[in-house]
Amino acid sequence: MKTITFDQIKFSTIALEMDEIIPDTVYDWTEDDFAKYQVPIGNSRFPITDFFDITVEGEAESAAEVKMIFKGDLNRTKYIGSKMSAGEIYCYGNVDLHVGAEMSGGYIYVEGNAAAHAGREMSGGKLEITGNTKEFTGASYIGEWRGMSGGEIIVHGNAGKQCGECLVGGKIRVKGDCDILAGIHMTKGLIEIDGNVNRWPGGQMKNGNIVVHGHLGRLLEGFVLQGVVVDPVVDGEQFEGKYIHYVGDIGLNGKGSLYLGAETNREKLGEYGEHDDEYTSIREYRNLE
Amino acid sequence: MEYILKNGIVYDPTNKVAGEKKDVMFKDAKIVEDVSSDAKVIDVTDKIVMPAGVDPHAHVAGPKLVVGRLYRPEDSRRGVTAKTKYIRGEAGFSIPSCPTTGYRYSRLGYGTVVEAAMPPLEAKHTHEEISITPNIDIPALPLFGNNWFCMEYAKENNLEDMAAYVSAMLKITKGYGIKIVNPCGSEAWGWGMNVHGVNDKAPYFDVTSKELIIALAKVNEMLGLPHSIHIHPNDLGHPGNVPTTLETLDAVKNIKKSSKATIRDQVVHCTHLQFHSYTGNSWKDAASGAEEVAKYVNSHDHMTCDVGQVTLDETTTMTADAPMEYDLFKISGLKWANKDIECETAAGIIPCIYSGSAPVSTLQWAIGLELFLHIDNPWQVCLTTDHPNAGPFIRYPRIMSWLMSSKRRMEMIDNGEVHKWAHKRTTLATLDREYDFNDIAIISRAAPAKIHGFADRGALTPGYRADIAVYDINPNEIDPSVQYEEIEKGFSNALYTIKDGQFVVKDKEVVMNKESQNIWVNVKGYEREEEKVINDIMPFFTQYYSVKWENYPVHDHYVSNPIVVDVER
Repeated sequence: MKTITFDQIKFSTIALEMDEIIPDTVYDWTEDDFAKYQVPIGNSRFPITDFFDITVEGEAESAAEVKMIFKGDLNRTKYIGSKMSAGEIYCYGNVDLHVGAEMSGGYIYVEGNAAAHAGREMSGGKLEITGNTKEFTGASYIGEWRGMSGGEIIVHGNAGKQCGECLVGGKIRVKGDCDILAGIHMTKGLIEIDGNVNRWPGGQMKNGNIVVHGHLGRLLEGFVLQGVVVDPVVDGEQFEGKYIHYVGDIGLNGKGSLYLGAETNREKLGEYGEHDDEYTSIREYRNLE
Repeated sequence: MEYILKNGIVYDPTNKVAGEKKDVMFKDAKIVEDVSSDAKVIDVTDKIVMPAGVDPHAHVAGPKLVVGRLYRPEDSRRGVTAKTKYIRGEAGFSIPSCPTTGYRYSRLGYGTVVEAAMPPLEAKHTHEEISITPNIDIPALPLFGNNWFCMEYAKENNLEDMAAYVSAMLKITKGYGIKIVNPCGSEAWGWGMNVHGVNDKAPYFDVTSKELIIALAKVNEMLGLPHSIHIHPNDLGHPGNVPTTLETLDAVKNIKKSSKATIRDQVVHCTHLQFHSYTGNSWKDAASGAEEVAKYVNSHDHMTCDVGQVTLDETTTMTADAPMEYDLFKISGLKWANKDIECETAAGIIPCIYSGSAPVSTLQWAIGLELFLHIDNPWQVCLTTDHPNAGPFIRYPRIMSWLMSSKRRMEMIDNGEVHKWAHKRTTLATLDREYDFNDIAIISRAAPAKIHGFADRGALTPGYRADIAVYDINPNEIDPSVQYEEIEKGFSNALYTIKDGQFVVKDKEVVMNKESQNIWVNVKGYEREEEKVINDIMPFFTQYYSVKWENYPVHDHYVSNPIVVDVER
């Protein structure tokens, strides 16, 4: 196992781009190799050793045997772990844009917050963020219609807007709250949100699943109530308890599923009439005490 | 400055040189027969030397490219490279930035690219883009196939006024020839419709596609333009469109070529013929019509074509055939842009994923190759991908490798790289013809130059522009049938590309940002008629166009360094 430690010694106000420094490329690098390497910053390159004190311990014969540790203020360090296929990266501090973007394997741990595009278009591996993420977590690049396709993202804090946009596979778990339009345009995969959701999850979704345990502020009109389900199995995973099940977005003839925690979203059932036979299970649920 | 390219193996089909070891000399910007003893000698022993490539049909400049780049930022991040000492950074795959387009053509050894669709109303912007695309000369073809004035003239059979109008428009747009896209169909799209077949009439104008094509073809020959009409027929991409294609070509077969057009032989150039060679009634029973279409080409010398070969990539389609783009949108559901160009044309843009595992993509791929292999005379067929519609132009070397190796084609069919429709619905698997280097030189430079009537490029004739490509391929040692990967690699990156006597690629690296030149046709002798026609259309123009006439023409400062081809009446 090779451990490469990056101790920050200088902060750059222009972002460092680290997509060339991933386990796949540096597994056989020595400290001398790092000393020769120049990191892209804006439209120029500078020695990486101007910014980090780099120590290399141990040996590795492949990317899977590499553990990279970043320490310091990484708020202006972009593309950490971007396109990596194996190995581990640990970041102790907030990270900038595109952490884990397009990664296909391995593990990234961020102790802190991540800026936008965390796990963008990742196809495998695991990305774990202890703090919050900004916009487009696990989403597609701007304009692209294929977002995250595999792997897992866990956000222990809150996620920003359009989390899981264009999701085509994989799982995103947000343990905090989620901002608007989670899972917009998604076609496959699972987004699980423990906290509350602001508005409009699943806009224009064609397929896939969104599970919201907390309270949903506003539902889009394109979702059709199916009923209340108990202990639903979603994407092979069982969720205990009662959930209100919607299908949408019918605006795109979508067949995606949205599950809302029934207890936390109970008021959503009030708008349906007592005598509406279609929603028997709902009426029964509402009358349950 | 004088140079000798020494001991190269030269393919110059125009001058009937096919793989001869000889020296090519140039002085300043021109090919010469002899140079002084001071000439610098470049040793190109056992390397292929050809005239620089000529792309007869691509979409490289203009407003639809801008829309494509704006709404496909995800394409711009593909192929990103950093700037070098000589050139700017590159970006984009199917719709690269303007400088990137120039650099990549230079790497392929190309020197001239015809922008195949310029809406007159957007001509200024087209020329702005041409001016920032380095290293290649770019003539642009203005669109006439859905122009309201042209449809009126065709309905009245008023060819005199139509000729004056076309002549004026070539000056106004700084255009090179007559482009016709889905005649009457794009106008019908303004009414939410399309035309099917050549005998459908455009709504309101009461003129058929066939009448319009014949009128424009006659006008083309009346004016004696260097290029023939350049047509994208009706029903592009529709199963069962072969009859429309053949009827379109047949409609102009009796039109006599102008005696002023001394370089070309044809009176009609049919572009991206692959998209017009489908049989069947729907995609369920669609099959190849390439053999039937090729049979027509082989028995008629009034026409030429380019193929529009599908490259099995994810790309961006963009065309003035807006209703076809809507059809494509309905099939794929991908993001779609639609544009109306007032009284002239329309446009649509949509991403397209051509995949070897998809039956339709495979069928299109196979039909393109069938056309290349069924058409006997390589001077009648040109190498294109209708960039970016069937794939990006950077795939030309790959297509060359497919054409030169039946083994490779069969490998793709046999090992499942392409869908079984290639075998079941086309004749590709039965074709063992293989192109040689001379054939490649014909379809990629000599024939396109001849078809467009270029009198200064596409050959290594003394007096011609010193546009030359040298490839690091030894034709005496390589077996293209087996070493197809080497063929693709060799043609992908020229050892030297020389444009107007200047080395834009040296040792496989782009080393120069050379200012591009627009080529446009200036018809002389119609000035009085042009003035009359402009006066005639002015009330209509003022009423219906959103710009003033004074702002309509492409002023000289938009075309800073043009090559003007004068055509006398």
